[in-house]
Amino acid sequence: MSMMTMATRLGAALLATTAATGVLAQTEVTVWHQEQVQPRIDQFQKVIDAFNESQDEYEVVQQVQSWGNIYQKLPPAVEAGIQPDIQFTIPDFTVTVRDTGVVQPVTEFVERLDEEHGFIEQAVVPYTDDGEVWAVPVYGMIQVLWYRKDMFEAAGLDPESPPQTWDELLSAAETLTGDRTFGIGVPASKSLATDQVLYSFMAANKGQELFAEDGSVAFDTPDNVETLEFYRQLAELSPSGIGSWTWAEPQDALNAGSVAMAIEKGQYLSTFESASGRPASDLGCAPVPVSDDGERASIYYSNGAMIMTDDPDRRAGAEAFLAFVLEPENYAEFLLAEPGLFLPLTEDGATDAWKQAEALQPYQECVELMIEQSTYGKLPGFNRGTVEDAIGPIMAQNLMSQVVQRVVVGDESPADAVAWGQQQMEEALSE
Amino acid sequence: MSTTGSSAQAANAETDAAGPKGSAVVPVRARLGRLFAAPIMIWLALTIALPLGYCIWISLTNANTMGGTPRFVGLANYVTVLTDGTVGGPFLRSLAWAIGGAIIQTLLAAGAALLLNRRFAGQHIARTWIMASWVVPTIVTAFLWRWMLNADFGVVNHVLQSLGLIGRPIDFLGDPDFAFITVTLVNAWRWFPFMTLLILAALTRVAPEYYEAARVEGATSWQVFTRVTLPFIQPVLYVVGLLGTLWSINVFDIIWLTTKGGPLDMTETMPVAIYERAFQQFRLGEASAMSVSLALFLLVFAYCFIRFVPRGATEQEVI
Repeated sequence: MSMMTMATRLGAALLATTAATGVLAQTEVTVWHQEQVQPRIDQFQKVIDAFNESQDEYEVVQQVQSWGNIYQKLPPAVEAGIQPDIQFTIPDFTVTVRDTGVVQPVTEFVERLDEEHGFIEQAVVPYTDDGEVWAVPVYGMIQVLWYRKDMFEAAGLDPESPPQTWDELLSAAETLTGDRTFGIGVPASKSLATDQVLYSFMAANKGQELFAEDGSVAFDTPDNVETLEFYRQLAELSPSGIGSWTWAEPQDALNAGSVAMAIEKGQYLSTFESASGRPASDLGCAPVPVSDDGERASIYYSNGAMIMTDDPDRRAGAEAFLAFVLEPENYAEFLLAEPGLFLPLTEDGATDAWKQAEALQPYQECVELMIEQSTYGKLPGFNRGTVEDAIGPIMAQNLMSQVVQRVVVGDESPADAVAWGQQQMEEALSE
Repeated sequence: MSTTGSSAQAANAETDAAGPKGSAVVPVRARLGRLFAAPIMIWLALTIALPLGYCIWISLTNANTMGGTPRFVGLANYVTVLTDGTVGGPFLRSLAWAIGGAIIQTLLAAGAALLLNRRFAGQHIARTWIMASWVVPTIVTAFLWRWMLNADFGVVNHVLQSLGLIGRPIDFLGDPDFAFITVTLVNAWRWFPFMTLLILAALTRVAPEYYEAARVEGATSWQVFTRVTLPFIQPVLYVVGLLGTLWSINVFDIIWLTTKGGPLDMTETMPVAIYERAFQQFRLGEASAMSVSLALFLLVFAYCFIRFVPRGATEQEVI
């Protein structure tokens, strides 16, 4: 074998080795999320697989967590340096996790995405603090009023004219309450579910801000006392088990026809026909009714993704994946992880591919309503573009739902309960 | 006499001969034993002492669950948790939970064990089947009872209403008047089979002759129970009383999964309060101080229990 041949073969071997090493050097990007339902995991995996196949620099891997244990699991992971590269989040969780010091600002990246896709304001503001954006908005969730049109009709109410004001809501609930049915079902457990419904009513009655401009707690207001009194009246027209209700029970009760109305997010759409045995046309939706001098609003969650690595390669991989998800052709697949619950929060995100998906197609009016209602969305402690650190423990302790419990199951006066809530929030703020 | 004396001398001679030889062998065996036991002892020391020591250290700092550098604050966390008025309620509920649970579980377990100790068709199946509630995972127990007790579609309310015992459904887990006793009963339902098994094991040691003798002497059923049965199972009840109380006070899962400490904190026991302080208020230092305080209380309780509560007689003493 000549020297030339040997050199050629050696060169070829080196090239092959380099190529193989290149494949092996693919950067792994780990994603932690808290969507434990199997269809959501499967749908996420479809998008991840599509991303992994679209390029060979990065490989995204999802690891499913739960909201029940993420607060315990993430800090030790950070301490051990094995935190995920992407952590799915909601605004108040972001506030808490930022204390770990590993959350990376994504301001420039979000600005680039905004130029390309156009985020709605409600999506970005909750993640804005200290002049930076701390998470990439990925999907939205909004609460609306769900009602059973067939039950409205049976009770002599116009199913095409759902209640728009508090007076109308109360009147309709009274009319719809019978021997075996209840006009409405509002939760009263110590839970985030109760926090959310109460806040939707607070926001619709000028109580969207938990903090005053100077940062002090502004929960004990006449408006919020009025809201709690209204909530108490609705609770009286609800089933007796609401002290234990969270998210599933109002939905089950609406599907079963034991309650005629409920305030919740869009997860009601995809299972209504199969769970209720009724046609899709029996499910109605409307904006959350407002008080006499209130404004249209309801709770809105911008679900985001924090980037938690400062490694340039991993960060680039994380950004590439999130940019891939928000591309309209991929976004529809991603949002269909939970049809109706996961809403687009970009201007080009509400594609026909998403709207006309089999699960959403029969509910076009409600889909449009939720997208529209998203622009009226509010979130406690996150409406001003600056964040009070106390909102993390306030939400984690479910203080608002504890106020509801004091009124609904503890028979405390709304004024006393709201004063108690103010005191608890002030304590959280002082910490 | 002389023969006996010779034998004794011979025995002493053997003992003397074995003495020096034995004393040389035993330490070697002992050293070998210690060597074999060393790995597990080191492992236990590491897995118990290190976390405990770390917990004590954290309780002396202002550690936050979500990070930051903890700063030494001395006993400030202990002063806070013992004086801010938020621990008294959970502590008293923990005591009520442990005492109430112990009474209910002991009564259920003793009754079940006495029944299962009798001969009847299907006795073996019943003895196995009774363990079902204990072997199923806690999460299953919690959801099972949440569904059965549900005020809107639960079978318990349905039965009670069908029998005319209640007019309106009761929200057993959401009503402040019912939640605590309901969760206590659910926990008792989960744990009493374990106690049943222990008591049953003790009962099987009682020879039928004792019962026959008592009957021949004209003892009533109550006298048979108090004079024969109870003395035999008392040592088991002693162990169950000690361990059961320690386990019971530390129960967190079933409470969290059914009520999350609500409604209106009515089921918030010490473990729940500690969890909330650590992972909802993020005050890890204070939560650790609560944990250490509870551990100290349980140590004192265990010492007093062992020191003052009679363990019960041995079989020979009973006889």
